[in-house]
Amino acid sequence: MVAVVERIAGLLSLLTLGLIAYLIVALLRRQVPAIVRQDLALPLATLIAFGATAGSLFFSEVAGYTPCVLCWYQRIAMYPLVIVCGVAVLRRNANVLTTVLPITAIGASISIWHIMVEQRPALGGMCDSQAPCALKWINEFGFLTLPTMALIAFVAISLLVIAARQPNTVSTNSL
Amino acid sequence: MATTQARAQDPRRKLLLVAAGAAVLGLVVLIAVLSVTESDSRLTVTDVAGSPEIEGADLTVVPEPGEPDPAIGEAAPVVQGADHDGNPVSIGDATGRGQMIMFMASWCQFCQQELPTVVDWVAEGRLPDDVDLIAVSTSLSDVRPNWPPQDWFVRENYQNQVIVDDVQSSIARAYGLRATPYWVIVNPEGVIVHRSTGISPSGVLDAFAELAAGRQLPQT
Repeated sequence: MVAVVERIAGLLSLLTLGLIAYLIVALLRRQVPAIVRQDLALPLATLIAFGATAGSLFFSEVAGYTPCVLCWYQRIAMYPLVIVCGVAVLRRNANVLTTVLPITAIGASISIWHIMVEQRPALGGMCDSQAPCALKWINEFGFLTLPTMALIAFVAISLLVIAARQPNTVSTNSL
Repeated sequence: MATTQARAQDPRRKLLLVAAGAAVLGLVVLIAVLSVTESDSRLTVTDVAGSPEIEGADLTVVPEPGEPDPAIGEAAPVVQGADHDGNPVSIGDATGRGQMIMFMASWCQFCQQELPTVVDWVAEGRLPDDVDLIAVSTSLSDVRPNWPPQDWFVRENYQNQVIVDDVQSSIARAYGLRATPYWVIVNPEGVIVHRSTGISPSGVLDAFAELAAGRQLPQT
Protein backbone atom coordinates (compact mmCIF):
# COMPACT_ATOMS: atom_id res chain seq x y z
CA MET A 1 0.00 0.00 0.00
CA VAL A 2 2.84 2.40 0.82
CA ALA A 3 4.25 2.12 -2.72
CA VAL A 4 0.82 2.93 -4.15
CA VAL A 5 0.49 6.02 -1.96
CA GLU A 6 4.00 7.08 -2.99
CA ARG A 7 2.97 6.76 -6.65
CA ILE A 8 -0.25 8.70 -6.01
CA ALA A 9 1.80 11.46 -4.36
CA GLY A 10 4.15 11.44 -7.34
CA LEU A 11 1.33 11.66 -9.88
CA LEU A 12 -0.44 14.42 -7.96
CA SER A 13 2.84 16.31 -7.80
CA LEU A 14 3.19 16.01 -11.57
CA LEU A 15 -0.34 17.36 -11.99
CA THR A 16 0.50 20.20 -9.62
CA LEU A 17 3.61 20.96 -11.68
CA GLY A 18 1.33 21.28 -14.71
CA LEU A 19 -0.92 23.60 -12.71
CA ILE A 20 2.10 25.72 -11.76
CA ALA A 21 3.13 26.03 -15.41
CA TYR A 22 -0.42 27.05 -16.36
CA LEU A 23 -0.68 29.60 -13.54
CA ILE A 24 2.68 31.18 -14.38
CA VAL A 25 1.61 31.70 -17.99
CA ALA A 26 -1.82 32.99 -16.99
CA LEU A 27 -0.41 35.38 -14.39
CA LEU A 28 2.29 36.68 -16.72
CA ARG A 29 -0.29 37.31 -19.42
CA ARG A 30 -2.66 38.75 -16.80
CA GLN A 31 -5.34 36.47 -18.14
CA VAL A 32 -6.45 34.37 -15.20
CA PRO A 33 -9.95 33.09 -16.05
CA ALA A 34 -12.71 34.11 -13.67
CA ILE A 35 -13.56 30.52 -12.87
CA VAL A 36 -10.00 30.02 -11.61
CA ARG A 37 -10.01 33.26 -9.64
CA GLN A 38 -13.46 32.93 -8.13
CA ASP A 39 -14.17 29.22 -7.89
CA LEU A 40 -10.96 27.22 -8.08
CA ALA A 41 -7.92 29.07 -6.73
CA LEU A 42 -8.53 29.03 -2.98
CA PRO A 43 -10.25 25.61 -2.81
CA LEU A 44 -7.36 24.14 -4.83
CA ALA A 45 -4.81 25.81 -2.54
CA THR A 46 -6.65 24.30 0.44
CA LEU A 47 -6.76 20.88 -1.22
CA ILE A 48 -3.05 20.97 -2.01
CA ALA A 49 -2.19 21.99 1.57
CA PHE A 50 -4.52 19.29 2.88
CA GLY A 51 -3.04 16.67 0.55
CA ALA A 52 0.50 17.59 1.57
CA THR A 53 -0.47 17.46 5.26
CA ALA A 54 -2.28 14.13 4.93
CA GLY A 55 0.59 12.71 2.88
CA SER A 56 3.24 13.75 5.36
CA LEU A 57 1.25 12.23 8.23
CA PHE A 58 0.72 9.03 6.27
CA PHE A 59 4.41 8.68 5.48
CA SER A 60 5.51 9.29 9.07
CA GLU A 61 2.73 7.53 11.00
CA VAL A 62 1.83 4.66 8.66
CA ALA A 63 4.86 4.08 6.44
CA GLY A 64 7.28 4.73 9.31
CA TYR A 65 9.40 7.31 7.49
CA THR A 66 10.88 9.24 10.41
CA PRO A 67 10.71 12.98 9.67
CA CYS A 68 14.05 14.77 9.93
CA VAL A 69 14.55 18.28 11.33
CA LEU A 70 14.11 19.90 7.91
CA CYS A 71 10.94 17.84 7.32
CA TRP A 72 9.56 19.22 10.58
CA TYR A 73 10.28 22.81 9.60
CA GLN A 74 8.43 22.25 6.31
CA ARG A 75 5.53 20.68 8.19
CA ILE A 76 5.37 23.70 10.49
CA ALA A 77 4.91 25.85 7.38
CA MET A 78 2.51 23.52 5.54
CA TYR A 79 0.04 22.48 8.24
CA PRO A 80 -1.36 25.95 9.09
CA LEU A 81 -2.02 26.58 5.39
CA VAL A 82 -4.90 24.07 5.53
CA ILE A 83 -6.62 26.26 8.13
CA VAL A 84 -5.65 29.61 6.64
CA CYS A 85 -6.75 28.70 3.10
CA GLY A 86 -9.74 26.70 4.35
CA VAL A 87 -11.11 29.63 6.34
CA ALA A 88 -10.52 31.89 3.34
CA VAL A 89 -12.64 29.54 1.20
CA LEU A 90 -15.46 29.48 3.73
CA ARG A 91 -15.42 33.26 4.17
CA ARG A 92 -14.94 33.85 0.42
CA ASN A 93 -11.95 36.00 1.33
CA ALA A 94 -9.37 36.29 -1.43
CA ASN A 95 -7.23 38.62 0.69
CA VAL A 96 -5.15 35.90 2.32
CA LEU A 97 -2.16 36.75 0.18
CA THR A 98 -0.30 38.60 2.92
CA THR A 99 -0.80 35.74 5.36
CA VAL A 100 -0.08 32.86 2.99
CA LEU A 101 2.91 34.17 1.05
CA PRO A 102 5.28 34.66 4.02
CA ILE A 103 4.50 31.11 5.18
CA THR A 104 4.95 29.55 1.73
CA ALA A 105 8.15 31.57 1.17
CA ILE A 106 9.66 30.20 4.37
CA GLY A 107 8.46 26.67 3.57
CA ALA A 108 9.75 26.81 0.00
CA SER A 109 13.15 28.10 1.17
CA ILE A 110 13.50 25.20 3.59
CA SER A 111 12.42 22.76 0.85
CA ILE A 112 15.11 24.12 -1.47
CA TRP A 113 17.75 23.71 1.23
CA HIS A 114 16.51 20.17 1.94
CA ILE A 115 16.72 19.29 -1.77
CA MET A 116 20.31 20.59 -1.77
CA VAL A 117 21.13 18.42 1.26
CA GLU A 118 19.65 15.42 -0.56
CA GLN A 119 21.83 16.15 -3.58
CA ARG A 120 24.95 16.89 -1.53
CA PRO A 121 24.61 15.00 1.76
CA ALA A 122 27.80 16.55 3.15
CA LEU A 123 25.83 19.81 3.58
CA GLY A 124 23.77 18.11 6.26
CA GLY A 125 26.54 16.33 8.18
CA MET A 126 26.96 12.59 8.64
CA CYS A 127 24.04 10.16 8.78
CA ASP A 128 22.03 10.60 11.96
CA SER A 129 20.74 7.07 12.41
CA GLN A 130 17.31 8.24 13.64
CA ALA A 131 16.35 10.87 11.08
CA PRO A 132 18.94 11.61 8.41
CA CYS A 133 18.06 14.72 6.37
CA ALA A 134 19.88 13.44 3.26
CA LEU A 135 17.89 10.23 3.04
CA LYS A 136 15.56 10.03 0.04
CA TRP A 137 12.60 8.12 1.44
CA ILE A 138 10.77 8.57 -1.85
CA ASN A 139 12.18 9.12 -5.31
CA GLU A 140 9.25 8.91 -7.72
CA PHE A 141 10.06 9.22 -11.42
CA GLY A 142 13.70 9.81 -10.47
CA PHE A 143 13.26 13.33 -9.11
CA LEU A 144 10.18 13.64 -6.90
CA THR A 145 11.51 13.34 -3.35
CA LEU A 146 9.56 14.48 -0.28
CA PRO A 147 11.07 18.01 -0.15
CA THR A 148 10.61 18.33 -3.94
CA MET A 149 6.93 17.51 -3.51
CA ALA A 150 6.72 20.01 -0.63
CA LEU A 151 8.36 22.69 -2.77
CA ILE A 152 5.87 22.05 -5.57
CA ALA A 153 3.02 22.38 -3.06
CA PHE A 154 4.36 25.63 -1.58
CA VAL A 155 4.86 27.17 -5.04
CA ALA A 156 1.43 26.06 -6.26
CA ILE A 157 -0.32 27.42 -3.15
CA SER A 158 1.53 30.74 -3.56
CA LEU A 159 0.51 31.09 -7.20
CA LEU A 160 -3.08 30.12 -6.45
CA VAL A 161 -3.53 32.77 -3.76
CA ILE A 162 -1.93 35.31 -6.12
CA ALA A 163 -4.31 34.20 -8.87
CA ALA A 164 -7.27 34.55 -6.51
CA ARG A 165 -6.39 38.24 -6.07
CA GLN A 166 -5.95 38.99 -9.77
CA PRO A 167 -8.14 41.81 -11.08
CA ASN A 168 -11.01 40.77 -13.29
CA THR A 169 -9.48 40.94 -16.77
CA VAL A 170 -11.06 37.95 -18.48
CA SER A 171 -14.77 37.30 -18.53
CA THR A 172 -16.06 33.77 -18.08
CA ASN A 173 -17.58 34.07 -21.53
CA SER A 174 -14.11 33.66 -22.98
CA LEU A 175 -13.82 30.15 -21.48
CA MET B 1 -20.18 41.21 -14.30
CA ALA B 2 -23.59 39.96 -13.34
CA THR B 3 -23.13 37.07 -15.75
CA THR B 4 -19.78 36.25 -14.21
CA GLN B 5 -21.15 36.15 -10.67
CA ALA B 6 -24.17 34.18 -11.71
CA ARG B 7 -21.96 31.58 -13.37
CA ALA B 8 -19.55 31.44 -10.48
CA GLN B 9 -22.36 30.84 -8.03
CA ASP B 10 -24.21 28.36 -10.20
CA PRO B 11 -24.54 25.20 -8.02
CA ARG B 12 -24.55 22.91 -11.08
CA ARG B 13 -21.28 24.41 -12.21
CA LYS B 14 -19.73 23.78 -8.81
CA LEU B 15 -21.03 20.25 -8.80
CA LEU B 16 -19.45 19.76 -12.20
CA LEU B 17 -16.12 21.05 -10.91
CA VAL B 18 -16.23 18.73 -7.90
CA ALA B 19 -17.11 15.79 -10.16
CA ALA B 20 -14.23 16.65 -12.49
CA GLY B 21 -11.84 16.83 -9.53
CA ALA B 22 -13.05 13.49 -8.20
CA ALA B 23 -12.64 11.94 -11.65
CA VAL B 24 -9.05 13.18 -11.90
CA LEU B 25 -8.28 11.85 -8.42
CA GLY B 26 -9.87 8.51 -9.29
CA LEU B 27 -7.79 8.30 -12.45
CA VAL B 28 -4.61 9.06 -10.49
CA VAL B 29 -5.40 6.33 -7.96
CA LEU B 30 -6.18 3.87 -10.76
CA ILE B 31 -2.91 4.61 -12.57
CA ALA B 32 -0.99 4.30 -9.29
CA VAL B 33 -2.57 0.95 -8.40
CA LEU B 34 -1.95 -0.46 -11.88
CA SER B 35 1.62 0.79 -12.14
CA VAL B 36 2.92 -0.44 -8.79
CA THR B 37 3.73 -4.05 -7.94
CA GLU B 38 4.47 -4.75 -4.30
CA SER B 39 6.23 -7.88 -3.11
CA ASP B 40 5.16 -9.65 0.06
CA SER B 41 8.37 -11.65 0.29
CA ARG B 42 10.49 -8.74 1.50
CA LEU B 43 12.79 -9.31 4.46
CA THR B 44 11.94 -7.35 7.58
CA VAL B 45 14.29 -5.90 10.20
CA THR B 46 13.41 -8.78 12.50
CA ASP B 47 14.45 -11.29 9.82
CA VAL B 48 17.84 -9.64 9.39
CA ALA B 49 18.66 -8.40 12.91
CA GLY B 50 21.03 -10.35 15.12
CA SER B 51 20.88 -10.96 18.85
CA PRO B 52 24.33 -9.96 20.04
CA GLU B 53 25.40 -10.38 23.67
CA ILE B 54 27.20 -7.35 25.04
CA GLU B 55 29.47 -7.27 28.10
CA GLY B 56 30.97 -4.18 29.65
CA ALA B 57 29.85 -0.63 30.22
CA ASP B 58 28.49 1.45 27.34
CA LEU B 59 30.92 4.04 26.03
CA THR B 60 29.91 7.69 26.03
CA VAL B 61 28.59 9.04 22.72
CA VAL B 62 31.54 10.01 20.55
CA PRO B 63 32.23 13.75 20.94
CA GLU B 64 32.26 16.26 18.09
CA PRO B 65 35.53 16.44 16.13
CA GLY B 66 38.22 18.38 17.96
CA GLU B 67 36.84 17.63 21.41
CA PRO B 68 38.67 15.18 23.72
CA ASP B 69 37.21 11.67 23.69
CA PRO B 70 36.75 10.32 27.25
CA ALA B 71 36.43 6.77 25.89
CA ILE B 72 40.07 6.63 24.77
CA GLY B 73 41.91 4.22 27.04
CA GLU B 74 38.74 2.47 28.19
CA ALA B 75 38.05 -1.20 27.65
CA ALA B 76 35.93 -1.84 24.58
CA PRO B 77 32.53 -3.47 25.19
CA VAL B 78 32.86 -7.14 24.27
CA VAL B 79 30.22 -8.29 21.81
CA GLN B 80 29.48 -11.87 20.83
CA GLY B 81 27.28 -11.96 17.78
CA ALA B 82 26.98 -13.35 14.29
CA ASP B 83 27.25 -12.32 10.66
CA HIS B 84 24.36 -12.28 8.18
CA ASP B 85 24.79 -16.04 7.64
CA GLY B 86 24.77 -16.86 11.35
CA ASN B 87 28.52 -17.46 11.68
CA PRO B 88 29.86 -16.32 15.08
CA VAL B 89 31.72 -13.01 15.14
CA SER B 90 33.00 -11.06 18.11
CA ILE B 91 34.39 -7.57 18.65
CA GLY B 92 36.05 -5.76 21.52
CA ASP B 93 37.75 -8.73 23.15
CA ALA B 94 41.49 -8.79 23.84
CA THR B 95 42.51 -11.32 21.22
CA GLY B 96 46.04 -10.06 20.75
CA ARG B 97 44.98 -8.64 17.39
CA GLY B 98 44.01 -5.09 16.58
CA GLN B 99 40.49 -4.35 15.43
CA MET B 100 39.22 -1.76 12.99
CA ILE B 101 35.49 -1.66 13.64
CA MET B 102 33.35 0.25 11.16
CA PHE B 103 29.68 0.88 11.87
CA MET B 104 27.77 0.91 8.62
CA ALA B 105 24.09 1.52 7.78
CA SER B 106 23.17 0.29 4.31
CA TRP B 107 20.79 3.24 3.71
CA CYS B 108 23.42 5.85 4.62
CA GLN B 109 24.85 7.59 1.54
CA PHE B 110 28.18 8.23 3.28
CA CYS B 111 28.49 4.52 4.14
CA GLN B 112 27.66 3.69 0.52
CA GLN B 113 30.53 6.01 -0.40
CA GLU B 114 32.90 4.62 2.24
CA LEU B 115 32.49 0.88 1.69
CA PRO B 116 34.04 0.75 -1.84
CA THR B 117 37.02 2.78 -0.50
CA VAL B 118 37.49 0.22 2.27
CA VAL B 119 37.13 -2.71 -0.16
CA ASP B 120 39.75 -1.19 -2.49
CA TRP B 121 42.04 -0.45 0.46
CA VAL B 122 41.89 -4.09 1.56
CA ALA B 123 42.35 -5.30 -2.03
CA GLU B 124 45.54 -3.25 -2.23
CA GLY B 125 46.90 -5.36 0.64
CA ARG B 126 47.03 -2.45 3.09
CA LEU B 127 45.22 -4.26 5.94
CA PRO B 128 48.03 -5.55 8.20
CA ASP B 129 48.10 -9.27 9.01
CA ASP B 130 47.76 -8.55 12.73
CA VAL B 131 44.62 -6.42 12.38
CA ASP B 132 41.02 -7.51 11.85
CA LEU B 133 38.51 -5.42 9.94
CA ILE B 134 34.94 -5.89 11.13
CA ALA B 135 31.84 -4.12 9.84
CA VAL B 136 28.94 -3.66 12.22
CA SER B 137 25.75 -3.78 10.18
CA THR B 138 23.65 -1.37 12.24
CA SER B 139 20.68 1.04 12.24
CA LEU B 140 18.68 -1.57 10.35
CA SER B 141 15.61 -0.24 8.56
CA ASP B 142 13.52 -2.17 6.07
CA VAL B 143 11.70 0.97 4.91
CA ARG B 144 14.86 2.79 3.86
CA PRO B 145 16.73 2.41 0.57
CA ASN B 146 19.43 -0.22 -0.09
CA TRP B 147 17.75 -2.94 1.93
CA PRO B 148 18.74 -5.63 2.94
CA PRO B 149 22.30 -4.83 4.06
CA GLN B 150 23.73 -8.29 3.31
CA ASP B 151 22.98 -7.81 -0.39
CA TRP B 152 24.84 -4.52 -0.26
CA PHE B 153 27.96 -6.09 1.31
CA VAL B 154 27.93 -8.79 -1.38
CA ARG B 155 27.34 -6.29 -4.17
CA GLU B 156 30.28 -4.18 -3.00
CA ASN B 157 32.47 -7.31 -2.76
CA TYR B 158 33.16 -6.75 0.93
CA GLN B 159 34.80 -9.97 2.13
CA ASN B 160 35.90 -9.17 5.69
CA GLN B 161 33.87 -9.89 8.78
CA VAL B 162 30.41 -8.50 9.51
CA ILE B 163 28.58 -8.52 12.83
CA VAL B 164 24.86 -7.76 12.71
CA ASP B 165 23.33 -5.38 15.24
CA ASP B 166 19.94 -6.02 16.82
CA VAL B 167 16.68 -4.17 16.25
CA GLN B 168 17.52 -1.62 18.97
CA SER B 169 21.05 -1.03 17.58
CA SER B 170 22.50 -2.15 20.92
CA ILE B 171 26.06 -2.55 19.60
CA ALA B 172 25.98 0.98 18.18
CA ARG B 173 24.70 2.32 21.50
CA ALA B 174 27.33 0.39 23.48
CA TYR B 175 30.07 1.89 21.32
CA GLY B 176 28.69 5.45 21.51
CA LEU B 177 27.62 5.90 17.89
CA ARG B 178 26.42 9.39 16.99
CA ALA B 179 26.14 9.02 13.21
CA THR B 180 27.38 6.77 10.43
CA PRO B 181 29.88 5.85 9.09
CA TYR B 182 31.58 5.45 12.47
CA TRP B 183 35.00 4.01 13.16
CA VAL B 184 36.22 2.53 16.44
CA ILE B 185 39.80 1.36 16.67
CA VAL B 186 40.62 -1.22 19.34
CA ASN B 187 44.21 -2.26 20.14
CA PRO B 188 45.35 -5.87 20.76
CA GLU B 189 44.61 -5.47 24.50
CA GLY B 190 40.97 -4.65 23.81
CA VAL B 191 41.36 -0.96 24.62
CA ILE B 192 39.76 1.86 22.65
CA VAL B 193 42.47 3.93 20.95
CA HIS B 194 40.39 5.97 18.51
CA ARG B 195 36.79 6.83 17.59
CA SER B 196 35.59 9.05 14.76
CA THR B 197 32.54 9.74 12.61
CA GLY B 198 32.71 10.40 8.90
CA ILE B 199 34.24 9.21 5.67
CA SER B 200 37.83 8.04 6.05
CA PRO B 201 39.98 8.02 2.91
CA SER B 202 42.61 5.32 2.40
CA GLY B 203 45.39 7.35 4.05
CA VAL B 204 43.32 7.62 7.21
CA LEU B 205 42.59 3.88 7.05
CA ASP B 206 46.38 3.30 7.02
CA ALA B 207 46.63 5.33 10.22
CA PHE B 208 43.71 3.43 11.78
CA ALA B 209 45.48 0.14 10.98
CA GLU B 210 48.69 1.30 12.64
CA LEU B 211 46.76 2.39 15.74
CA ALA B 212 44.88 -0.91 15.84
CA ALA B 213 48.13 -2.86 15.66
CA GLY B 214 49.43 -0.86 18.63
CA ARG B 215 52.12 0.85 16.60
CA GLN B 216 53.03 4.51 16.80
CA LEU B 217 51.88 6.68 13.93
CA PRO B 218 54.79 7.93 11.81
CA GLN B 219 55.55 11.60 12.47
CA THR B 220 54.75 13.83 9.51
